[in-house]
Amino acid sequence: MVDISIADATVEQILANQKGLIAIGAGLAVGLSGIASGIAEKDIGAAAVGAMAEREELFGKGLILTVIPETIVIFGLVVAILLLFL
Amino acid sequence: MAFLIRRGSKKYPYITARVRAMKSKLLPREVYPKLMNMDIPEITRFIGESEYKQDVDELAQKYSGLDLLEHALNQNLARTYRKLLRVSQDEPNFLITEYLRHWDIWNIKTILRGKYYGAQAQEILDAVVAAGQLGYRELTSIANMESIDDIKAALANSPYYAAIADYDGGELSAIENELDKIYYSRLLASIGKSKGEKLSLKFIKTEIDLKNLKILFRTKKAGLVKDDIFELLIPGGMEFKSGDLKRMSSLPWSDFLKGLEDYSYWSEISEVVSEDMTSLMDVEALLDKYAMGYASRISHYYPLSILPIYDYMLRKNNEINNIRTIVRGKKVKLPDEIIRKHLVM
Repeated sequence: MVDISIADATVEQILANQKGLIAIGAGLAVGLSGIASGIAEKDIGAAAVGAMAEREELFGKGLILTVIPETIVIFGLVVAILLLFL
Repeated sequence: MAFLIRRGSKKYPYITARVRAMKSKLLPREVYPKLMNMDIPEITRFIGESEYKQDVDELAQKYSGLDLLEHALNQNLARTYRKLLRVSQDEPNFLITEYLRHWDIWNIKTILRGKYYGAQAQEILDAVVAAGQLGYRELTSIANMESIDDIKAALANSPYYAAIADYDGGELSAIENELDKIYYSRLLASIGKSKGEKLSLKFIKTEIDLKNLKILFRTKKAGLVKDDIFELLIPGGMEFKSGDLKRMSSLPWSDFLKGLEDYSYWSEISEVVSEDMTSLMDVEALLDKYAMGYASRISHYYPLSILPIYDYMLRKNNEINNIRTIVRGKKVKLPDEIIRKHLVM
C-alpha cells in the first residue's frame, strides 16, 4: 500500500485532489437531485396518465404538472455548474 | 385466511386520478329535472348519447323501450365496476374486489329468489348485475341449473358457501341475512391499519350503521318482535354497537324514535321522522343522501386511498338508481313530486 500524507504532498497534488472532490460534489448535486425529482414525479406522472386515460384534453395540464419537480434537478445542475466553473 | 395476506406496493395515484376523471363524467345534478320533463323514448335517446352509448347501441337490437334502458343501465354498471378492477393493481384492486362482492351477494340472492318463485332463467338473468367476482357466464350457468343442490355445488368453492350450505329451497330471509353478514365481515377484515385504511374502515362502519338503521325502521314499522329484528341486524357498525342494536331492537316504535336522538344520524332524519309516519321513503332517501355526502366528504380527507373509489362507486350506483327511478316512475305515470322524492341528489 502506498502511504500518502498531506505533509508529503506537493501543491499540485493537493490542487488536483481538491478538483477531484469538487467533481464528486457536482456529480452528487446532479445525481441526488435527479433521483429526488424522479421520486416526486413518479406519483404525479401516474396520476396524470390516469386522468388522461379518461379525458384526453388533460394532456397539456398533466404534462406541465408532471415536469414541475424537474426544477429540483435544475437547481442541482446550477449548483454543479457553480462548483465546476466558479 | 388467504384474503388477509396483504399485497405489495400501494398504487393509488393512478387509480384515484382516473376515478376522479370518471367521476367528472357522471351526470350532473341539473340533468335530473331535465330528464323528468322527457318521455321514455326521449330519455332513452338522451342516455344513448351519453356515457351509456355503447351499452344502448349494443342492446338496441335485442330490446326496446323500457327494457332497453333497464338492461343498458345494468350492463353499464357492471362494465364500469369491471373497468375499475381492470385498471387497478395491488391494494386498490384487492379492496375494490372485496367491496364489489356486494354484487355477488346481490346476484346469488336474485338467483335463489328467482328459483324460489319459479322464475325462468332468462327472467333471473335480466336482473343480475355481473359486477362481482362471478362473471356473467358463471351466473348464466348457475341460473340455468334446476335444483338447489346443483347451485350449492356450483358455489361450493366460493366464500358464500357457508351461508347457503344448509339451504333446502325454503324461506330465503335467513340465507339472505347470512350472506350480508359474510359480506360485511369479509369487508371489515380486508381493511388494514394504514391511515387511509382507517378512514375507509370508518366509512364501511357508517355504511353498516345506515343499513342497520334502515332495517330497524322497516322491521319496527312491520311490527316484528325483538329477537327476529336482532337476527337481521349486521354487527360491526360505527355508532350502533352490539349493545345498542340489542337495545334498539327491543324498544317499541315510539321509544325507538326517542332512542335515535342519541345518535348523530338523528339530525339528518329528524325532519321527516314522526310517530305517525306512514311511509319510510323519505327516511331512506335521506339516509342514502347522507351516505353519499359522507363518502364525498371523507374522500377529501385522504385522497390517496380507496375512499375516492368508494365514493365513485356509490355515486355511479346512485346515478343509475336515479335514472331507473325516473324511468319507472314515468312508466307508471307517477306525479313528478313523488318521483322527485325518490331521487337521491
